Amino acid sequence: MRSLLGFLVRRFGWMLLTLWAVYTVSFILIKLAPGSPFSAERAVTPAIEQQLRARFNLDGPALQQYTDYLWNIFTRGDLGWSLKLEDYSVNQVIAEGFPVSASLAVFALVFAIILGVSAGVISAVYRGTMADLSMMTTAVLGIAIPNFVLASLAILLFVFMIPIFPAAGWGTLRQVALPAFCLGAPVAAYIARLTRAGMLESLNREHVRTAFAKGLSHRTVVLKHVLPGAMLPVVSYLGPATAGVLTGSLVLEKIFALPGMGSHFIYAATQRDTFLATGMVLTYTVLLFTMNTLVDLAYAVIDPRVELE
Amino acid sequence: MPLQLRRAFMILAVVVVGLAVVWAARFDAMPPAEFRFQNGTDPKTLDPHRATGQPESRLLFNMFSGLLQLLPEGPPDPETGVQPMSPHPALATSYDVSADNKTYTFQLRRDAVWSDGVPITAEDFIWSWTRMLHPETACEYNFQLFSVPYAEEYANSVVEVGDRVEVELWDRPGERQGSEPNYQNFPRGTLRYGTLTEITRPPEPEIPEDANKLARAKIMADWQSQWVYTVDLAAVRDGQPMWDEVTGTRSYCRDLASPMATAETEQTHGVLVAFNKLGGIEAPDPYTFIVHLEDPLPYFPYLATYYPLFPVPRHVIEEHGKPMWTRPENIVSNGPYKVGLRKLRDRVRLVKNETWYDADMVQIESIDAMSIEGQNTALNMYTTGQLDWVTDPPGSLIEELKKRDDCIIAPQLSLYYYELNTARPPLDDVRVRRALAMAIDRDQIVREVTRAGQTPAYRVVPPGIQGYDPPPGMEGSLEDARALLTEAGYPGGRGIPKFTILYNTSEGHRAIAEVIQQQWQNNLNVKVDLQNMEWGSFLDKRQQKRFDISRAGWIADYPDPNTFLDLWLTDGPQNNTNWSNLEFDRLLEEAASESDPEKRMQLLAEAEAIWVDEVPAIPIYFYVGLNIVKPHVKGFFPTPQDIHPFHLLRLEKD
Repeated sequence: MRSLLGFLVRRFGWMLLTLWAVYTVSFILIKLAPGSPFSAERAVTPAIEQQLRARFNLDGPALQQYTDYLWNIFTRGDLGWSLKLEDYSVNQVIAEGFPVSASLAVFALVFAIILGVSAGVISAVYRGTMADLSMMTTAVLGIAIPNFVLASLAILLFVFMIPIFPAAGWGTLRQVALPAFCLGAPVAAYIARLTRAGMLESLNREHVRTAFAKGLSHRTVVLKHVLPGAMLPVVSYLGPATAGVLTGSLVLEKIFALPGMGSHFIYAATQRDTFLATGMVLTYTVLLFTMNTLVDLAYAVIDPRVELE
Repeated sequence: MPLQLRRAFMILAVVVVGLAVVWAARFDAMPPAEFRFQNGTDPKTLDPHRATGQPESRLLFNMFSGLLQLLPEGPPDPETGVQPMSPHPALATSYDVSADNKTYTFQLRRDAVWSDGVPITAEDFIWSWTRMLHPETACEYNFQLFSVPYAEEYANSVVEVGDRVEVELWDRPGERQGSEPNYQNFPRGTLRYGTLTEITRPPEPEIPEDANKLARAKIMADWQSQWVYTVDLAAVRDGQPMWDEVTGTRSYCRDLASPMATAETEQTHGVLVAFNKLGGIEAPDPYTFIVHLEDPLPYFPYLATYYPLFPVPRHVIEEHGKPMWTRPENIVSNGPYKVGLRKLRDRVRLVKNETWYDADMVQIESIDAMSIEGQNTALNMYTTGQLDWVTDPPGSLIEELKKRDDCIIAPQLSLYYYELNTARPPLDDVRVRRALAMAIDRDQIVREVTRAGQTPAYRVVPPGIQGYDPPPGMEGSLEDARALLTEAGYPGGRGIPKFTILYNTSEGHRAIAEVIQQQWQNNLNVKVDLQNMEWGSFLDKRQQKRFDISRAGWIADYPDPNTFLDLWLTDGPQNNTNWSNLEFDRLLEEAASESDPEKRMQLLAEAEAIWVDEVPAIPIYFYVGLNIVKPHVKGFFPTPQDIHPFHLLRLEKD
């Protein structure tokens, strides 16, 4: 328990340090980018731009801006106002977009894990059969096909040819199905391949042979003695996979008109929405860090040999 | 790790995943609105004084009512099917124009209320227009009121000695002398009125040679905040300053640390001309609103139908401030619809506003303005019945869509053009500019690239403006173009430097630029590079005039040639071309003060003839409006500015 707490505290410290570094780099990059958040087709006069800058505390020396903004984030968690979505603060933008992205990610991941692990286990147990071959071929395709192509195919198939899902939008379970499928499919394919490889390796281990020799049923051996060992690579893949699912939803958000967080990332950067861009980068940093920490924890839980450090 | 703990973790993990799925599967059931349309990008804001784009205007025109509103008038154009729109009474039941066309007296309806029941009076207009013009509001459309006396000076914070001014003291809510400023410009601090007798300025700071535009603005702003204004205060009776009754003399300064400030100097947010106390706009009684103009603008009624001039709810803005007042839970409006709910990047739901003066006219109870950017997505949703109106159909399918009955295509008052930087040789030579303009085959562009029935453009003012007889457009064959180049010293295109065409990243713009690149190469042996930039950098580069040739577009703010011609005034904010022609400027100025409409149009046509002759930009085509609307939606017709009042729409139940 001590080691666990110590681990979490250390990780938290590292996260703060990383956040600070990420903040600094993005601050510098934003300052270096050409263009201004206040430029519009109908040019604003320098005097008005000056006032707008003062209002958002963008008029002082760069170092002052750097420390003021950092102080606001650190003490009050206040990420400032979005400059382009004027009616919203950055915190509100994240608060509205995050649940959508998270909910989509949960469905995509759960779908990917269930499908991927089952396919991997079946492939490994019946290796060399047609079932194995077809599933692994599908998996290769699943990894290779980019999700926007998959989305177009899925829409063609399940919206127009067999109309069971709505074309786009957000708000009902049926509307989540297609995007979650498209987002989860490549992950599922990857998990299937990892599971199969892990299973095949474990099946040849001595403790598995012993288990079979003891006369345990095939099913018990596979589920209790083979699968946990085979899961290690899958678990370590889940960290980056979660990150990929959260950030990779951007194209799907456009295709399926989902109000998630991904697109804000691009818009904030291209429209010089200083605060929103920083806010998004920091949010993603926290998410990635948390996911990686959870993966490391899970590792220690599954494999007794792993120590938390 | 002990075994029990590991077990516990396993169970915990399963429970967490289970809970996550349950959480993710929870959706607030929301019945769809009666009418749903694609609104493009998520609206930037719902504040009429801050909004600019099309998605915002579709909402604001239906959430707020102004003095007048655009309604269909007369039969549709027999050729194009475009339904002319003209200003009709809205909050004003009627209006009178003085003989010199410079004074408009609006009679307001007495039953107009905000959606929370607060009545709307002439004072609301005075307050709203003041807010719209106030420099700290930074309304991009504030120039629409610049023909009201003192409006321009007010918006640009220009004051001179002798002006009658308002002084806003440093006591906005939460402020005291020397404190940090409160950036909510309304409610305002205490206002003092008086006559400006002196401005004492510290020595003007030196601006370093290498300072950029921003640094310059900052230095100037800091310097100006140190100016000390001496004002002979006027007595105020019934809210009206008695300018000639001086009650004392005080000095004011924004920055009390100014070397010019004395112990008596009071801190101020700014000294501005007392715009709303100088008779430009008046409210003699709660239901009469008078506007005085410096010029007899024949299009002023059109400006009054445009949302930046609509009233905004003072009581709500002063209570919640900007931008909190536009939150769905706070916002109050006065149009046919009000905001029911708003989900970022998903939708704005409009619901019928029962308190609107003409609520019986409104048939559709609820409308979803869906924030959908994907063109294919919108069409898919339309095809499967999730949308009733697509505003931005996919360009690649135009050929197919054009054949359908539910596709409504009509010309728009808007122009697609290439700006030429006339300060950069050889574009400073009008012969080169003319040759370039002549050597573009616009028919090929509209036929093979844009393909939606756009009209090739040889002028700056689009067709379809009533009473305007345009001058002949750019003419000339390829031979003429080559001859002009030879005359300019580049026979056969030899020796002409390579240009760069700048455009904002988009498939459509690239395709057009590529065709023009090829045409210039083949026809004139002129070589160009293409450079694309994302929107922010693109605007920056254009406004700093660091380009050779830049793509641009303009949509009419009001149906009058002036909206296209005043872009090219010398040093105008929209004139990125460095082009300046004093005769052109003079003609526009003369047209502005001309009260005979026919003569005015002639002056504008003369100005356009100069433009056509001088080619500060190359017009390419006039846009068309493309809408796909379900057949059961009645009352939808193409209009010149693509404005479609929702209260005229009817849904036919099958």
